[in-house]
Amino acid sequence: MKLNVMKRRSLWWSISLLIILSGLVAMAISWTRPDIKAPLRPSLDFVGGTRIQFELDCTQPNNCDKPINVGNVRELLDQQGLAGSSIQVVGQDQRAVSIRTKTLNVDERTKLQASLSEAIGKFDPTTTQIDTVGPSIGRQLFTSGMLALIVSFAGIIVYLSFRFQFDYAFMAIVALFHDVLVTVGMFSILGLVFGTEVDSLFIVALLTIVGFSVNDTVVIYDRIRETITLNPERHIDDVVEEAVNQTLTRSINTTLTVLLTLSSIFFFGGETLKNFALALIIGFTMGAYSSIFIASTLLAWWRKRNGQAIPAMAAGSPALDASVSSEDA
Amino acid sequence: MQRQRSLLALILVLVIGAIFTIVQVPTRLGLDLQGGSQLTLQVKPSETVKEITPRVMEAVQRVVEGRINGLGVSESVVQTVGEDQLLVQLPGVSDPEQAERVLGGTAQLDFRQQKPGSEAQLAVEFQVRQELLAKQAELQKPGAGNEAALAENQAAIKRSNAAIAELFERTGLTGENLQDASAEPASASGNSWNVSLRFDPKGATLFAELTKSLAGTGRSIGILLDDRLISAPTVGVQFAQTGITGGGAVIEGRFTAEEANDLAVQLRGGALPVPVEIVENRTVGATLGRDSVQRSIYAGLGGLFLVLIFMVVYYRLPGAIADLSLVIYSLLTFASFTLLGVTLTLPGIAGFILSIGMAVDANVLIFERTREELRAGKTLYRSVESGFYRAFSSILDSNVTTVIACAALFWLGAGLVRGFALTLGLGVVVSMFTAITCSRTLMLLALSFPALRKPEFFCPQVPASNQSKAEVTP
Repeated sequence: MKLNVMKRRSLWWSISLLIILSGLVAMAISWTRPDIKAPLRPSLDFVGGTRIQFELDCTQPNNCDKPINVGNVRELLDQQGLAGSSIQVVGQDQRAVSIRTKTLNVDERTKLQASLSEAIGKFDPTTTQIDTVGPSIGRQLFTSGMLALIVSFAGIIVYLSFRFQFDYAFMAIVALFHDVLVTVGMFSILGLVFGTEVDSLFIVALLTIVGFSVNDTVVIYDRIRETITLNPERHIDDVVEEAVNQTLTRSINTTLTVLLTLSSIFFFGGETLKNFALALIIGFTMGAYSSIFIASTLLAWWRKRNGQAIPAMAAGSPALDASVSSEDA
Repeated sequence: MQRQRSLLALILVLVIGAIFTIVQVPTRLGLDLQGGSQLTLQVKPSETVKEITPRVMEAVQRVVEGRINGLGVSESVVQTVGEDQLLVQLPGVSDPEQAERVLGGTAQLDFRQQKPGSEAQLAVEFQVRQELLAKQAELQKPGAGNEAALAENQAAIKRSNAAIAELFERTGLTGENLQDASAEPASASGNSWNVSLRFDPKGATLFAELTKSLAGTGRSIGILLDDRLISAPTVGVQFAQTGITGGGAVIEGRFTAEEANDLAVQLRGGALPVPVEIVENRTVGATLGRDSVQRSIYAGLGGLFLVLIFMVVYYRLPGAIADLSLVIYSLLTFASFTLLGVTLTLPGIAGFILSIGMAVDANVLIFERTREELRAGKTLYRSVESGFYRAFSSILDSNVTTVIACAALFWLGAGLVRGFALTLGLGVVVSMFTAITCSRTLMLLALSFPALRKPEFFCPQVPASNQSKAEVTP
């Protein structure tokens, strides 16, 4: 397989721009929607509130005869002044109910639990799940996540500048922004269409995408650097083209193996990890794409712009820059 | 060859050690997997305590620990998080409501007066409580595991505390009137310690009255924290005229430095009217947690299996060798988790599974390089050698960048996020070792068998002209 990375770079760039733009549009729409009011649909982790999940105890006689009726639950919540809460009947045979309300204190929660149990049936305490998150915790999670993202960007720039050169590092970060933007945009779309929410694991996913997709970029850069050292007289377009194609099988195979494990988490793992795996699947795929089509082409474009298209000549006689850049495709 | 052999021996020893560790050392499961409650308590400044200092946090933590002891939960954890939060983990708690009620209030320190005629009874009750507490400590040890006995003992302690509290009557002197408590040496030379108290003006008056009425009677001042007697000093007869005036007092009990400090911290905790609020509660039922573990294990095995198959199909002999080192990788990583006492959470498991997928990357890089060299016409042995050699800088750079991201997550993240960062980061480091050392040693071992020295086992389409050359070994 051989890709025309350099020749068709405007195509690759437009594909990325298109995806990013649609993500940005989705974020703008989300922001104006009164029920979301944020670029992404935030989960309990970020806005605070209480979520309780109960499952009927089927070891009790006649307890699990009929599935839970959402209408009954809603009526009960309305009576307790909790109208507007979201109610979902979940689980096998509709025997579990998940309720998300404003933050409840112990007494309010116990009262709700008692009246639900009375109306619906006895619940099994070993399958109960309670999450109460205060709004301040959400803010902390968000800021510490953003801080981690910035710190790791800085760390990666420093390391790559030290191991390669600053322009390599900078373009790698541009590619990372690309991957993060695409993933965030996709989840914004998912939030609009399917009501998918982002929780604190989503921030973790973004950071993992950063760590992993820079991996891919580094391998290609490593090849570019090696080829330049061996053939300093070659044009950067050629060098990049060859480096990408030489590492292509590796990029595909690595992404494939990681996607294998991720899809196994997506399909077989617990409910909590589903969206996490999905975020990684999107991010890693885009990471591979951006390493091949964005990070490398941007580097070549930048070097040509700065008259470093042929390192040997650029280093030896800067006066020749003009003739070099006239070779641009 | 000598070096290969010792490396092989090292790998074997590591694998056996890893299997031994995994079998012997129990894995610590996070609350999301074993079920239980995790609460975050926010300590709030109040009118009198305007700033939350580490000293304040220490006192509050002691109060919270005391309350958890009162709940009778085994293997609980209380940690300070940041500057003004406490993280409380209560594994296996089936009654989160009670826990929340007990943990969320402000500490109540109360100075009470022993009722006349209760001297003998107090001694008896006190003895009973000591025995119950000793038994409780025994039951709460990890692995004791008798929840029913623990609950029963807990109820007995509660009754005992109530019985003791019965013997004292309120005086109106409370923690609000206590300004400070600290440990101090009893004398310049000895190793006996005292606890000194300081009251505010109103407290000083009340304390003087209290001590005046008790001096020389043999009855004691009951110091109760959250209705639990923590100290019962008596007052010397010399204070019968005026009581202890001036707002300062010293509890002499021939304490060790540790005991004195402990009592002082408890008193301070009760003296601080700082409200504690539960800002986060994550409770997972035990069955729900078990279900998650099971599904995650299936997912992990499924993922590993798919990767193993892919490697053999695509890379043939090197793929099989990579598979072997991948299995070694999984064993070593899991063993290092248990050795380092990593608490395995759901995201942690995800990090581990992901690191399996990523561990393959180094092998893929090496094998792709080997194939290139083979196609370029090098001998098999040299192709393998330079495959490892030339892929190294890529492997190093790409893994260091991942570790940088993990480090950022570990330092800045909290709770579950840290678990994920730790397992992924550790996985990446171990994978460097297995990909470079393990795969290489095993590969060179395989090459020492003539039957396996066929280039078509390594690369499907080696140009025919290279076939003869590839057979040559150094």
